[in-house]
Amino acid sequence: MKSYISEFESKDKPKDYYQKLLEELKGKNRELHVFNNLNEDLRDGFPFSVKDNICVRGVESTASSKILKTYKPPFNATVVERLQRQGFAFLGKTNMDEFGFGSFGINCETPARNPFNVDYVAGGSSSGAAVATSILKYHVAVAESTGGSISAPAAFCGVVGFTPTYGVVSRNGLIDYANSLDKIGFMARSAADIRKVLNMSVGRDEKDTTSLDARLRDEPKIQFSVINQLMNGLDDKVRSAFDKLLEKLKSMDYKINYVDLKDIEAAIPAYYIISTAEASTNLARYTGFKYGFKVGDFSKRYNDFFTEARMQFGSEAKRRIILGTFVRGASVKNRYYVKALKVRAMLGEKMRRILRESLIISPTMSITTPKISEVEKLSPVQTYALDMLTIPPNLCGFPHVSFPYEYIDDMPIGAQIVGDHFNDYAPISFVENWEGKFKYRFKYNIGAI
Amino acid sequence: MKIGLEVHVALPTKTKLFCSDSTSETREPNSQICPICVGFPGSRPVLNEEAVRVAKSIAIALNCRVREDISFIRKVYFYPDLPKSFQITQLSESIGSDGFLELEKKRVGIRRIQIEEDPARIIREEGYTLLDFNRSGIPLVEIVTEPDITTEEELREMVFTLRTILHYQGVDVNQEVKTDLNISLAEERVEIKNVTGIKNLIAAAQYEITRQGAIIKKGGVPEKETRSFDAASGTTKTSRKKESEEEYGFIYEPDLTVYDTKNLSENAMRIPTKIAMGLAVKHKANYSTILELIAFDTGALNLINEFEEEFDFKTIIASLEIMKRFGEPANSGVFKEILGLTDQKIDITRDVLKKIKAGDKVEIKKFSEPQIDETIREMLNSDKTIVEKYKKNKNVVNFIVGTISKKYGIQPRDAAARVEGVINKL
Repeated sequence: MKSYISEFESKDKPKDYYQKLLEELKGKNRELHVFNNLNEDLRDGFPFSVKDNICVRGVESTASSKILKTYKPPFNATVVERLQRQGFAFLGKTNMDEFGFGSFGINCETPARNPFNVDYVAGGSSSGAAVATSILKYHVAVAESTGGSISAPAAFCGVVGFTPTYGVVSRNGLIDYANSLDKIGFMARSAADIRKVLNMSVGRDEKDTTSLDARLRDEPKIQFSVINQLMNGLDDKVRSAFDKLLEKLKSMDYKINYVDLKDIEAAIPAYYIISTAEASTNLARYTGFKYGFKVGDFSKRYNDFFTEARMQFGSEAKRRIILGTFVRGASVKNRYYVKALKVRAMLGEKMRRILRESLIISPTMSITTPKISEVEKLSPVQTYALDMLTIPPNLCGFPHVSFPYEYIDDMPIGAQIVGDHFNDYAPISFVENWEGKFKYRFKYNIGAI
Repeated sequence: MKIGLEVHVALPTKTKLFCSDSTSETREPNSQICPICVGFPGSRPVLNEEAVRVAKSIAIALNCRVREDISFIRKVYFYPDLPKSFQITQLSESIGSDGFLELEKKRVGIRRIQIEEDPARIIREEGYTLLDFNRSGIPLVEIVTEPDITTEEELREMVFTLRTILHYQGVDVNQEVKTDLNISLAEERVEIKNVTGIKNLIAAAQYEITRQGAIIKKGGVPEKETRSFDAASGTTKTSRKKESEEEYGFIYEPDLTVYDTKNLSENAMRIPTKIAMGLAVKHKANYSTILELIAFDTGALNLINEFEEEFDFKTIIASLEIMKRFGEPANSGVFKEILGLTDQKIDITRDVLKKIKAGDKVEIKKFSEPQIDETIREMLNSDKTIVEKYKKNKNVVNFIVGTISKKYGIQPRDAAARVEGVINKL
């Protein structure tokens, strides 16, 4: 089993290793917009990057939003604290869709670009995390997923992206998108490295009430379930590649089982209702005078004052605030917000039944990596629909991993494996196994020794 | 007339509701703050169990149904004192509901008791506004009553009774309590928001009763609206006409899990009105006198309980009244001596109290009545003219009365009576 972390530790690094790494990275960053900032003081330890919506003490943490420019949190996120205590070295803050609002990484000032081809999207919202993982040889990324923000960019950038069971990694220090859905997870070039950092990061944290002290299982399953309803609407190329993957799995003695899960289509509306409802309250605090963007003109009335501050939000953020404010309004709340909570509980129960006996497998995205120019033309509803495969496990808090399994026209594509709650190591174990039969391709190997 | 209240009181906890900052009084603004109570991105609330425990106790004291699995909600509105632009509070899954407050002649329903965070303090200066976040995150309970209060007298009794119950739950009843007052003399409800303090609450109610009464007298109908109370002028004025209810867009607070209150141990349940009634019946004593002594003085009740078996109840009450008259706190330690002296019919003067406090022995001189009379006779004999003068002017024996009173530790009134008795017998 390949572990870059073990390999790095066993190697003698040249004295100027970190300095050279930073220099090379800065050059690439100008082209790919991977990092919002880099740690100039980098030294000693295995480098880890942090998605820009996760707080690092004294380091500008903006969630790629103009409204948080200059915000330097006075505390570390728990996950950052834990990795640093294990001797990992903070490398920098990675680019993302503003506040995590996006599937392609384009909802920010300077979108990250796909390292395999700069005309293509990196995926989102953890765009920079995926690109960093794809271009750096020795590195892990701390990322975050609400509805697919780890799986999607991991698939488009050809890396492993893991999202744990909701609550097993503390969210303390995360700049919230939707608290009941947000999960801090990881990206790496090998499943073994994911296992290592996950192991260091889990465990109850007094600072996050929803964090759990659960013992994570590694309960292997030889059966994979394919949910029929999720196979509708796959791009032809994705479909045939995925079918080939299933054949390969059969040859590896896994069993493939096709199941129906009729109501799964309700996952998208339920997700967008809950996530925007929560997001619209989370974003209410950005009023322009305590941190981040400051209005300055205190002669204004308060309504005008915070309205001016909130003009800093990008259009997707504004859309989600409006949508979220609407769905929790008194007159429609039972039709939307309350119903969505019920759908989430119902779908969770149905998926759990499948996950008791098997892992769920699907392509990560229903399309191959799109060009930036293509996704810019999509309507919001079309864009939201593209999250169909990543939303169900995210909505219901199931652990899942996206791993590359094929390259189409020199671009990677990924598949996603979902496990039962707290059986987090099972999807990781599978990918470790898969890696024995698969050769990763990377276009860059920055920091190779 | 119907009056309902929403009373906000700060809970007696050492730390804030969602962070570990101190709740103590401090002069330095923004000195007891942290990323959580200022709402910095990335921070999140962690519930203070002690606040829930006290809130549960209050709910029980107010005869509420106590919820075992409580949850919190976000109430969203934009105001500079609200750091997250939402307040974490409770609604349908609040700590208490469906309770009542027992008054002498009726019950006032308690609709709901909810735990919530206090916003920051706003200090308005000429031309600008200052914010002090020391108050942000202080734990409050909001007690929502049914509109069962129908007279000003009931309002006063209700406020008094609520305050004494809260005092027995450890709440500082001298704090500036903030109340929303709903008051309607006709159909439509008028809400007076944010009335600070008890005096203002009564004044606001009085003004509003008069105002609405005058409208009705003229054949008008008081409008549904929100008003504010101006303490300086003692009047209320329109702050917002209410066409529709406010829209707060409540959602669950997703950073707090459902909290189980089952295992929280509540405070001792002492309801002062009930206790006073019990004592009054048991000892055939006056209910109001007892209630007045114990209402805001748990120490006084403790003393009653301590000495109830040993001493005559009237003596205990008299001793407590002496303590109160001289402003001695119930825990001052002099009570036992006062009680002992009172029991022996010794009058407690300020001088006597001074001696007790200095640790000096108060000499209890016991003299027989003939002995006292003998002394009086001796003093009268020293000046033969006194008895004659006394017939015209009773004041001539004042010095004898004074001496007797001091010497034998009896009331001047009693001493005067004794002197008169002796003269009459001569």
